[in-house]
Amino acid sequence: MSWRIGADIGGTFIDFCAFDEATGRLATLKLLATPEEPGHEVTEGLALLEERHGLDPAEVAAFVHGTTIGINTIIQRKGADLALLTTAGFEDVIELARLRMPEMHGLFCARAEPLVPRDRIFGIPERILADGAEQTPLDAGALRRAAAAARAKGAQGIVVAFLNAYRNAEHECRAKAILAEAAPDLFVFTSAEVWPVIREYERSTTAILNGYVHPRVARYLDSLEVALARRGIAAAPMVTKSNGGVMSAARGKTACVNMLLSGTASGVMGAAFLARQAGIGNLLTLDVGGTSADVALVIEGRPQFGMGETIGDLPLYLPSVSVTSIGDGGGSIASVDGFGVLKVGPESAGSTPGPACYGRGGTRATITDAMAVSGYLGHTPLAYASVAIDRSRAAAAVAALARGSGLGLHATAEAIVKIAISNMYAEINKLIARYGADLRDFTLMPFGGAGPMLGCLLADELDMERVLIPRRPGIVSALGGLIADVRNDFIRTLFVDAGWATMGAVAEGFASLRAEAESWLRHDQRFAGPAHVTLSADMRYAGQSFEIEVELDESWIAAGVMTTITEAFHRRHQEIYDFADRGAIVQIINLRLVITSVIAAPVFLTEERRWGAPAPEKQVEVWRDGAPRKMPLYFRSGLQRGHSIAGPAIVAQEDATIVLTAGFAGTVDACGNLHLRRPG
Amino acid sequence: MPIDKVTLQILANHVRATAESMAYTLYRTAHSTFVKETEDFTTQITDAAGLAVAVPMDLGATWYPGINYGRAMAMIGSYEPGDIAFTNDPYSGFLATHVPDLHMWKPIFHGDEILCFACGHIHNTDMGGAVPASLSRALTEVHQEGVRFPPMKLYRRGVLNEEILEVMLLNVRKPEQNLGDLKAFVGALNTGERKARAMIEKFGPETFKQGLAALLDYAEHQAREILRGIPDGEYAFADYADEDGPNGNPCRLALRLVIAGDSAILDFTGSDPQLTSALNVPTGGDMRHTLLLVGIYYVLYTLNPALLLNAGLTRPFTCIVPEGTVLNPLYPAAVGMRSLTCARLRSVIFGAFSLAIPERMPAAPAGSSSILNVMTTDNRTRRTILAAINPVVGGAGGMPHRDGTNGSGADGAYLKNTPVEITEAEVPVQILRYGLLPDSGGAGAHRGGLATVLEFKVFAPHTRITARNRDRSRFRPWGILGGQAGQPSDFVLNSGTDREVRLGNTDTIACDPGDVVHIHSPGGGGRGDPLERDPVRVLLDVVRGYVSLAAAAREYGVLLHDGAVDVAATAARRAVLRRERQNGHFAFGPERERHEAVWTGENYAALTEILGGLPVHWRFFVKARLFEHLARATEPANRPSVREAFAALCASYPELGAIL
Repeated sequence: MSWRIGADIGGTFIDFCAFDEATGRLATLKLLATPEEPGHEVTEGLALLEERHGLDPAEVAAFVHGTTIGINTIIQRKGADLALLTTAGFEDVIELARLRMPEMHGLFCARAEPLVPRDRIFGIPERILADGAEQTPLDAGALRRAAAAARAKGAQGIVVAFLNAYRNAEHECRAKAILAEAAPDLFVFTSAEVWPVIREYERSTTAILNGYVHPRVARYLDSLEVALARRGIAAAPMVTKSNGGVMSAARGKTACVNMLLSGTASGVMGAAFLARQAGIGNLLTLDVGGTSADVALVIEGRPQFGMGETIGDLPLYLPSVSVTSIGDGGGSIASVDGFGVLKVGPESAGSTPGPACYGRGGTRATITDAMAVSGYLGHTPLAYASVAIDRSRAAAAVAALARGSGLGLHATAEAIVKIAISNMYAEINKLIARYGADLRDFTLMPFGGAGPMLGCLLADELDMERVLIPRRPGIVSALGGLIADVRNDFIRTLFVDAGWATMGAVAEGFASLRAEAESWLRHDQRFAGPAHVTLSADMRYAGQSFEIEVELDESWIAAGVMTTITEAFHRRHQEIYDFADRGAIVQIINLRLVITSVIAAPVFLTEERRWGAPAPEKQVEVWRDGAPRKMPLYFRSGLQRGHSIAGPAIVAQEDATIVLTAGFAGTVDACGNLHLRRPG
Repeated sequence: MPIDKVTLQILANHVRATAESMAYTLYRTAHSTFVKETEDFTTQITDAAGLAVAVPMDLGATWYPGINYGRAMAMIGSYEPGDIAFTNDPYSGFLATHVPDLHMWKPIFHGDEILCFACGHIHNTDMGGAVPASLSRALTEVHQEGVRFPPMKLYRRGVLNEEILEVMLLNVRKPEQNLGDLKAFVGALNTGERKARAMIEKFGPETFKQGLAALLDYAEHQAREILRGIPDGEYAFADYADEDGPNGNPCRLALRLVIAGDSAILDFTGSDPQLTSALNVPTGGDMRHTLLLVGIYYVLYTLNPALLLNAGLTRPFTCIVPEGTVLNPLYPAAVGMRSLTCARLRSVIFGAFSLAIPERMPAAPAGSSSILNVMTTDNRTRRTILAAINPVVGGAGGMPHRDGTNGSGADGAYLKNTPVEITEAEVPVQILRYGLLPDSGGAGAHRGGLATVLEFKVFAPHTRITARNRDRSRFRPWGILGGQAGQPSDFVLNSGTDREVRLGNTDTIACDPGDVVHIHSPGGGGRGDPLERDPVRVLLDVVRGYVSLAAAAREYGVLLHDGAVDVAATAARRAVLRRERQNGHFAFGPERERHEAVWTGENYAALTEILGGLPVHWRFFVKARLFEHLARATEPANRPSVREAFAALCASYPELGAIL
């Protein structure tokens, strides 16, 4: 039993990454995805891994899958027809959301259309108060009538989200039991079982997302299991999660909402892993594909987590690896406005028709076309030979813009790239300010099909001096799944003033979270190895309207001294806000616990050290600063441990093209990563 | 050599990024509710003259893309590197527009030359004065509204003037909050300076300067391009705030919009005299004051969402605001509650543009976002609690392409609510209902967005509720092109019981234990003839509970039977309604029609002329007396004209006659 396999589906491709624990060898593969036939591309990929790399299905110890089925269901609005049961008087909770709109400068702004229309939302007479006491009993008759009405309106499932269920879920539980009997054909999720946190909109919408994707995700995972079993793989498949961890596919069928942002999360986890191997702690990841460009910060080796990431305009309030979208990737379209100013995006050619140079029907100039016209692309096929670059089509598309901008063909191409880079700069800048980070302490790691082509250009704009390009930029997300831990988050809302009288509640709360977490890991996930638990609390000063997360040491809870906990909060507040108010009342809003399996990190085969500079394959002509310039083109396969190269240069490989701008020089490390530096 | 367009776009990204860095830094490090939840703050990069060149797109308030710091900046003789200046006085340079707003600016030098400024404002929860939070409609002089600082340096060459700070902190009710936000603000300005220096180095000082100028030209070009697409002409419109002070008369804002080619005049002559309440809007008569143009930013952005937001947008516009009026009050008129008046100011602009380009404009948004605060005592802990419960916001107006957004939208889209569960965990009240109010959106081919309704119960004696900025309890959000007006807002104690009290336009009440407070916002106006709305859409509204069966029949002429449209009955009903109805451009609702039956255009013109001829300190008084006079007549036939009433007034006040 020695193979671990990561298989990650992106917009266009499925990436495989198979690690042979016996030899330390990593085999990779990229195939076109076939979303209409779930499981098909997995079967095909496994066959190729057997054929090319000698993989034996019986020897597979772990199969970790990252799928976009959930997120696509939401973006395309193809999920289940749901009914929502709320406390009577609060039926509009999901339509009102938090009121504020993302776009607020115009008169036509709107919030995202809710996933459950108002005519399938039913108010049920019942009321739990803020302290958990029952004020109005659950009206079982109204519940049954609502179930009948929901079915009559075509609902496939029901979400129950009552007020104050985070404090006392009794009514939700009873409602679920009654519905199981009154409407056994409808699936039911309750808000407190999905994520029992204070704030009714956030909790309701998280439960709705779960129900919305549930039927499609469950069907997909069923067929995946069948496909793997047919192929002879005995290991129970795992799926990747938005929190950067994994869980069993069996659990994924009901805990679907945890998978929604797994694609971007795995990318960051994979990048963080590669950086740790390379001895780098602070990282700005840049994941650019044909249809998306995302960045994330890894600080001291740790990805950052947040709640409230968005999916197709809808927020997701679960702890997720924080990833910020900075545009639409290589397919972003360029245009010229009435003042003669060149713009790039927000329109995108996506994966269909894609950039003009792909020859799949696209005619408008994209970033990729500009890179082709400038001469960076087109020397070798892209994406494992699945795409050939047609430079004449790129030139025709860019020439159409050149007429509007009043610049020549090559100047327009350069301008498109420069403006696209400055767009990304502006978006990244917000992320940096949000964290108060100083990019001079960070290394940029570009990956994804189009990341390495833009990485150095962006580093120049951001004034970053270090860039790390992984050996296989196209499969970082699949790798992120392969190395991931089994991981789950648990939360309990306390909402108490911190004091000697509430220390007991804190200890009890953590004890029950721990029991829940242990049961999840041992029984649900059947993981028998060592586990790691971290505790934290969301805290604030009384009167504040937001919380900060404070990490807590288990020994503090055991000691039972509240002032240790409040002091940790004051210190954290001091760090962020530059002051602490030790006389003020401190509140503990939520207790949080994260459980993670401890899995030994894979040790990759390292290469033998070589010296000197590799020979370029050829010299190519690239337009830069208004003139054609010769620069060397290398093949990545020829760059080996210890080799040094210097920009300007191009490195072509099967899954990406690396552009080294002038000033950057670098060496290849033991794992094949290219470390680039630009002396400041 | 002028800056090339490619560099210009790159610079546009960098300058915006700088303003956004400041905003995110401020948001991350500030901790008051006003900054964190309400996001009542702004940041800007201005040029050397103090004109805003860039603002953040997704954080903070929406009012100041065209702000001009120039006058306030000039009130300080000279600047040195490391200086940070500030003011919150509404009458020093007309930068701050009420006392809680603290504006600050930091010059950014290259050698001896200032190339730009990093600027911004935060709304402080309290700046002292007569009432907590410094804001009340009832205040009559700016001196009651808190401690004021004319433009002065808080930092001189990087050194804090602690004496000024001490004066400020001594005079406010929550000094630790002011101090916390102030520190965050200084941090944001320093971030702005650091990023601005990096830009100057990247682009070079000359290109940078030319670039800032070109960015203003670029926005101006966009604004003019939009204006050229609007037919030349004069478009006159007026709208009313319900009251000009507690238990007062309506307050009229009037606008004559003149579009000529690629420029426009906004003549506000005919707006009411300055008020002896805090509803005045201090503009100093600046013909491009940003508060006068907030409605313009919304209109321009709606017509071109790719708009670059900066002060260049204001160049094609010239405002006329006569002195001593509500839009240009003289010192020391109180101004704390100018937000209420500003909402009417925006709706006047929206209305005038709806006359100019009806096919591209929506009906009136709800236009009243009241901020609801509760002060009560927890019966268990005996602690007194002061908390903001929720903003009560209404829907957007019906749009050319779809219904108005429900519950909030348009110029109220920046507000956030507070979760019911958070309120109940913190404040000893119980929320009974929070949601959309059926039938509150104006009927129309595109319906107005629905109002929100909030009901809650209080449990302690002497509980005080304030609903600041509440308006449109009388004058409804208007519909256009056959669309009906939205429902007015309301505020009711113990609705439907024998202890029911209808509170009208009141904004502060005291409650007893067990009292139930009901408040709802206005709904948005409808757009287009409701009889033209597809009956299936009306059916869907009924099924979804947005429109009642009765209203479907009454307003839309749609009759439903067994959950389906009764086609024949609907056609017959619609035919009858079509004969009965007459649609003008606007539908105002009965309240405004009744008011304007007395206060006709002619009467108001006479009033404006009479008041304009009086010394400022007489105007509000005379307006009130004339309103009394005209209201006294029981029959239209024996109602005096405004001039007759004024003659009578002069007779009873010889002092007045003496002045004339």
